[in-house]
Amino acid sequence: MRRILISTAAAVVVLCAGRMPSPQARSAGPPSADDAASLEELLAADCLDGAAMQVAQAAERLPQEGGVASDEWPPRALGGVLPPIRSVSDPFPTFDGVALDTVNDRVIFSDENRHSLLVYDRKAGGASNDVTEPEQWVFGPKTRLGYIAGVEVDPPRKEFYTVNNDSGDLLTVFSYDDHGNVQPRRSLVLPHQSWDVSLAPKRDEIVISIQQSNALSFYKRTATGTAAPIRTIRGLATELEDPHGVFFDDAHNEVFTANHGNWTQIRPYSPYDPLVTDVGEYRSGAFHPSAITVHAGDANGDVTPIRTIEGDLTGLNWPMGMDVDLVHDEIVVANYGDSSVKVFRRGDKGNVQPVRVLRGALTQIVGPVSVAIDTKNDELWVANYGDHTAAVFARTASGNVRPKRIIRNAPKDTPTCGFTNASAAAYDSKRDEILVPN
Amino acid sequence: MFARLANGNVAPKRVIEGQATNLSRTMHGIAYDAIHDEIVIPVALGGAVLVFKADASGEVPPLRAIQGTRTRLVRPHTVAVDPVNNEILTADPSMRAIVVFDRTANGNVAPKRVISGENTGLLDIVGLDVDPVRNVIVAASRKGNGDKVGIFVFDRLANGDVAPKQFIGGPNSKLAHFRQVAIDPATGNIFLAQQNTRMKQMEAYVLDKPREGYSGRKAKSDDDDDDDSDSGRLDQMGFIAVYAPDDDGDIPPRAIIKGPGVRLAGAAGVALNPKKKEIITVGGNGFQTFLLPDFFKPLKKLAATAQR
Repeated sequence: MRRILISTAAAVVVLCAGRMPSPQARSAGPPSADDAASLEELLAADCLDGAAMQVAQAAERLPQEGGVASDEWPPRALGGVLPPIRSVSDPFPTFDGVALDTVNDRVIFSDENRHSLLVYDRKAGGASNDVTEPEQWVFGPKTRLGYIAGVEVDPPRKEFYTVNNDSGDLLTVFSYDDHGNVQPRRSLVLPHQSWDVSLAPKRDEIVISIQQSNALSFYKRTATGTAAPIRTIRGLATELEDPHGVFFDDAHNEVFTANHGNWTQIRPYSPYDPLVTDVGEYRSGAFHPSAITVHAGDANGDVTPIRTIEGDLTGLNWPMGMDVDLVHDEIVVANYGDSSVKVFRRGDKGNVQPVRVLRGALTQIVGPVSVAIDTKNDELWVANYGDHTAAVFARTASGNVRPKRIIRNAPKDTPTCGFTNASAAAYDSKRDEILVPN
Repeated sequence: MFARLANGNVAPKRVIEGQATNLSRTMHGIAYDAIHDEIVIPVALGGAVLVFKADASGEVPPLRAIQGTRTRLVRPHTVAVDPVNNEILTADPSMRAIVVFDRTANGNVAPKRVISGENTGLLDIVGLDVDPVRNVIVAASRKGNGDKVGIFVFDRLANGDVAPKQFIGGPNSKLAHFRQVAIDPATGNIFLAQQNTRMKQMEAYVLDKPREGYSGRKAKSDDDDDDDSDSGRLDQMGFIAVYAPDDDGDIPPRAIIKGPGVRLAGAAGVALNPKKKEIITVGGNGFQTFLLPDFFKPLKKLAATAQR
């Protein structure tokens, strides 16, 4: 068994910190072996490019210090530090959440793949096939960014927020002055599987959607650490079912939520919770249609929504991030399941058709995760998880139309693996395929 | 679904997704039934186990769905299929149970057997496989206090609050934060994907309320990195561990795959291709394939281990 250096992680941190790491990858292809490269070079490359193969090969040549890295453990075992024969991963960022600041002309994206926040000029993008360079990014171990999803911006305070959907259970807040591998200005511990965040400026609150507990929790805007929510909407009457995108409408004191429709009871389940046999009334899991629910802004507990948009006519299909246009009274939602964007009237309820749908090959909408409306410049932003792009349309665009401009976080036609934080695999022997659930 | 020979940054060949599929996030298990050519998958956020045709693609409904009050499922997390005995097995950390259904079960059906209770030692069950040749069920289960963290082996027909026939765990095993289990049908060798040698960190919330007495993960800026991500710390990195089918006690792995650059620090899943002698590991945002023929041979007993 070969030996490896235990301080590799520290080297990664030092290298990343010293070079202001960017989440933008340098190349799309698998790394090539380079035996002459130093460990530092390889680790630096991994920091940027995920050059797993080179790091593994370099590590084989290095001495050990202990832990599981030690070649003394496990004793007399087969194997050890071994390089893979094949490795599949996407070294580029993906766009997930999007938040728009038309006061300071910035647009902020969350990147679930590389765990970064990317900030662009609002007018960025165009027709180029090349990567659009961000003006600012937040990336690196100090940031505490994990598998982040929703993102929100506070233009007056020049701050932006994001939520770790997995790995970290944290809301982090950064300043417009933050760049690179920086600590968040403040952070708030959240329930596991929190997905989106929306500001309620008049109330000076934030609202968080939580998938696994089918809930919306409200906190003071400045809450930090382990502060408890000031109220939570949760329970069967709420019709919150695998909630994703959330928007707080200060003007009408309402909160909008995009729901996937999955529901199951939540019980204590972690390794730290006891074995409990008496769990009270049992309710089985259920699959409901996707829906947009609207609750009163000051709702608390197990309360029914004021309105619900749900049914076949809506075309809702795994709705993700959403935005509400308070000037034109419209709801815009990223409809991931059929790669479309759907627009409803703000007051719609029941089984209604959208007033507009953006969908088709010309739109270049592929796996949209979030949207942002720009009423000042009459534009609509769509963050595509599926193809390393964000597309900007005229606000009223409809049908199968081309975007006005495209922002790319990878060169045109760069593929994406399409999964993040996977935890299982299977091998299909008939088709010679590897199956990965996400 | 990716081609076996996929390498680099590649798109999947097929994807099953969309509202009609009833899939969701937090699908931490998957099993392929080679005899009936089906895919079985647990949907934690829907309290269900779904079965798809193995060639399914796009927005297609499942062939069968196990869901409803009779199932008692809450949050099924991992799954295995026994095509020989026609059973689907799932493990539900919220039920603290291994639950066995008929393979063709559909709808609101009761399980055939449930393994759960104090004597089982099971708690946070995150990995599961079945060996119809040796007639055993192998489960990976974790406890935050470090007691009974490891691999539990039960008789295949075990039912109720029964003790495991074998248990692999303890300080010598370094087992802590693991997930998927896979069994090589020819040898019975047990493969386990471990994400980290540090126990999964305590979550700050219980349901929608902050956990009483929780004091962890304050806004520290140091390397107190996340519990599930590949931490990069080589002294705590994860690995693929391999055990012989009759292994028992506080023993180290008989074979191991480890390495800093192969995402094994975050390896959560493991799958086997016995024909090609390949081991597929998945973690974070990627997967790797290792070619290791010796891992598919009977493993020799170690001379000085703490077998009980």
